[in-house]
Amino acid sequence: MRCYVPGRDVVTTSDLSLAVIPSLMSDSPTTATEVRDSDLVLLPSMPAVTSLGTDAKKAVLRAQTRLLGNPGEGLPGQRSILRIPPGMTAEDLAPLLRTAGDAGVRAAAVTLRGDFGPDDYQSLETRTLLPRHWFAIVLGRLEPAVIPLLYYLGFDAFDISCAGAAAAQNTRQWQMDSESLDKSSAGPRFCPCAACHERDLASLAGRDLASALQQHNELVYTTVLSEAIGARSSGKLRWLVESRTHHSPAAAAILRRIDRGMYPFLEEFTPTTGAGTMPLIGPESYGAPAVRRFREIVESRYIPSPNKKLILLLPCSAKKPYSESKSHHLFKDVTESALGAAQSLVDEAILTSPLGLVPRCLERVYPAAYYDIPVTGDWDAEETEIGSRALAAHLRKFSSDAVVIAHVTGGYAEIVRQTEEQSTQTIIYTPQGDSVTSRDSLDSLHETLVEMRDLLGLKPSRWNENEEAMRAVADFQFGTGAGSALIPAGSRLNGKIYRTITCRLGGEQLFAFMADSGSVSLTLHGGRLLWPLHRYFVRFDGKELTGGSLFAVGVHEADPAIRPGDEVVVVNVDDEVVAVGKSEMSGLEMCEAENGRAVSLRHKVG
Amino acid sequence: MVGQYRSDTRWDEQVDEEYQAIHEGILLSLRRARGTSLSKRKHVDTKKPAAKWISDARIRSDVGKALSVVLRTIGCSYALGRSSGCTMCSYLLDGSDQPVSPDDVIAQFESARVSLKGLDGPLSVKIYTSGSFLDTTEVPMDARMDILRTLGSDPRVREVVLESRPSFVTEESMKQAREALGDRHVEIGMGLESISDTVRRMCINKGFTLKEFSDAVKVAMSHNIGTRAYVLLKPPFLTERDSLLDSARTIQEAARMGVTTVSVNPVDVQRHTLVEDLWSAGAYRPPWLWTLVEILGRCRHNVNKDIPIVCDPVAAGKARGVHNCGVCDAAFVEAIRAFSLDQDPRHLENLSCSCKSIWEHVLEHEDLSTHVHLETPSR
Repeated sequence: MRCYVPGRDVVTTSDLSLAVIPSLMSDSPTTATEVRDSDLVLLPSMPAVTSLGTDAKKAVLRAQTRLLGNPGEGLPGQRSILRIPPGMTAEDLAPLLRTAGDAGVRAAAVTLRGDFGPDDYQSLETRTLLPRHWFAIVLGRLEPAVIPLLYYLGFDAFDISCAGAAAAQNTRQWQMDSESLDKSSAGPRFCPCAACHERDLASLAGRDLASALQQHNELVYTTVLSEAIGARSSGKLRWLVESRTHHSPAAAAILRRIDRGMYPFLEEFTPTTGAGTMPLIGPESYGAPAVRRFREIVESRYIPSPNKKLILLLPCSAKKPYSESKSHHLFKDVTESALGAAQSLVDEAILTSPLGLVPRCLERVYPAAYYDIPVTGDWDAEETEIGSRALAAHLRKFSSDAVVIAHVTGGYAEIVRQTEEQSTQTIIYTPQGDSVTSRDSLDSLHETLVEMRDLLGLKPSRWNENEEAMRAVADFQFGTGAGSALIPAGSRLNGKIYRTITCRLGGEQLFAFMADSGSVSLTLHGGRLLWPLHRYFVRFDGKELTGGSLFAVGVHEADPAIRPGDEVVVVNVDDEVVAVGKSEMSGLEMCEAENGRAVSLRHKVG
Repeated sequence: MVGQYRSDTRWDEQVDEEYQAIHEGILLSLRRARGTSLSKRKHVDTKKPAAKWISDARIRSDVGKALSVVLRTIGCSYALGRSSGCTMCSYLLDGSDQPVSPDDVIAQFESARVSLKGLDGPLSVKIYTSGSFLDTTEVPMDARMDILRTLGSDPRVREVVLESRPSFVTEESMKQAREALGDRHVEIGMGLESISDTVRRMCINKGFTLKEFSDAVKVAMSHNIGTRAYVLLKPPFLTERDSLLDSARTIQEAARMGVTTVSVNPVDVQRHTLVEDLWSAGAYRPPWLWTLVEILGRCRHNVNKDIPIVCDPVAAGKARGVHNCGVCDAAFVEAIRAFSLDQDPRHLENLSCSCKSIWEHVLEHEDLSTHVHLETPSR
């Protein structure tokens, strides 16, 4: 989209354009009549607004809103974009955004310097304060490499004026770099794009060259954005963003700050389901929202059965789920032969980076079954710290007479050692040497388990492995207590955990667990059992649902804990469960948004 | 002040409330920037002027020599007062930390006048105080009259330029000046800075309205005293294009109002000013020489030829002054000085440099983004 300043620039296109109202301090009079019908309008702020205090920033916003008139006078609210000065708090901003919203505004813009310094961080933070359904625009000096991050933060439109500026300097932009045609003696690099390939760049000069380069540069931005959009739909946007942090130290630093400072915002929009592997390559993944959320949910929602007397800690495996790896097959053989039916008294947990700790029962949930890390056996201090914190939280869930058997070596053992001081339980290290799968190590594990069985007097007892896992998965998905609600007395679980498990009560199915997705899908009956917990529910405005989707416009209320991808229960105004399905947005988002699909329905009444 | 600034635009008076709040924000930054710098003024010899120099000058249709003298006074009373002064000016810091007596001022002037010994006419004498020569708290009345009478008795002196804020340009002060200086060409330099009340008030904190300025022009004119309008190029909080358009309009309107000379002053980043704070924070860049040249050329074509448009930029080509990319700056500054002397716009026409495309981008992109474009990579 092209921009023009009414009264300053000549508009050369009939396409939808952006009319930029001159700064508040400028004295060029612009009236509503100078803005073409249907063009978007960028409301006026002022340069260096960052340097002013909060009251002045608020006034800048009020001055913009004043320009929005009633229909026929003033600028059209619906087509206007508010410019938000950086560094404002939620409390300062909320009433001003409400006023603008009342005037019809649904879009806001922030300006970045493009150096990803402290000012830019403040501008980016502003994104988290906007109403969730507003259209967000980012202006400033933006290199192609920063586009995926900005897209990830929820910006919808990007200022690519940099393309023209670079072209005017005989510079070709690339996804991660740029190339000065003036300074290169070797001539222009090969480029297959339409702008470069059909011309001989070396023979062009002046405006012709600049125009070709601008076309190339804009194509680069389009390519980068296309990749980001594709990555979002395939669940790999975060990975793309992480990979682009290598553009510059500043880009790497700002992602770390963002992960720390904007976690609640990012987490809300991070899907809880996905397909394909989730590559977690380096330290920039430690604080990724999907990863941190997993750690937090395991800590808060996983409650081991109270009968557990032994806690077996194991290392992760490259193959997921861990049970299907060679090493875990070996571990299982040992525990089975050592404990037999007393196995039910053992809680198994897998130590891993950067997820921290994965209870055996949850090894198939997202993202535990999907992540992939470069395995070297070396752990950095931060990873060890993450693991140790997760382990300490895990051990607090057991009585102090439980015994911890740590069948781990190297970095994994370092985690356990770092946690020793905070642990009230006895910890026994079983491996012999560096390998956990050596004959000696496995024998040692066997021996220790047998010893403990005798010492603790572990008796064989009935163990419904499926039930334990399903309770854990349901609790993980819907919060503690959901497992008990969804697997009531008298219900029956059938199937294999590595394929499908169904839960039935009487003749009715309550839910199905699919190993592929690692999650529980509810039936209407299951939904009715979950509803009394008042979690993961969406209430819509009417009595009956039609069609295969519930749209945001019809949502009246929703659990703020809902994330895109979550299994949800849909209730009507009479508190009747009328459907179950998969959420397509966050709970808060579906309440605020005026359009868009909120829930894809799987089952519904009628 | 409601309704006084921005009365010439689409904004209704309601909006003043917002502008008031923004102005207060700017004042806070202004006071923070100034800090305690005033208390650190140096103890100076009040018998010597702050500066004096002789230069070639255009004296109406002739070329002769000009003596410029900057008198040391207690400092600009506007800047010393509750206003906190202008956003770009730190001349106050050059002032004396103690009162300056009438005898001191006269001694300073006499010490400067020594430089005129042996020079032939026509001469021009320009008296600056970094404040207002016509303000008696700076230059006591006895000293003022003594200096003016001395000039009035030197037949070589053809032109006298004094500097003052408009509020001191009164019926009485003009009458006295005219009487003391006889038939000499007299000009009062006043910092109009911008024709826009919004820009002058908000971006500069100048503290007077357009009406006060134009009244001063009329009073001076009624005593056959000319006025020299100082036009400030690129006050803070304007985009490069805002400032280009604002200065160009200011020059044209000032000429229409009856000023006899226009002096264009690109902002230079002075110590302990709001401009310096913004500049250090990457939120301000002094104007481009391209902008300056564009304004001078454009205005020379559409402003009455009898009104000289002069420019002697401070710190030109330096990071703190008006500058381009660093490669072409010297050629630009030379062209501007040549133009100021003979008013021939052809000096400005053949300037070229590869940085022009960056400047063109800045003009457009700052309007869109309000992002402040700083230095180019080659700098």
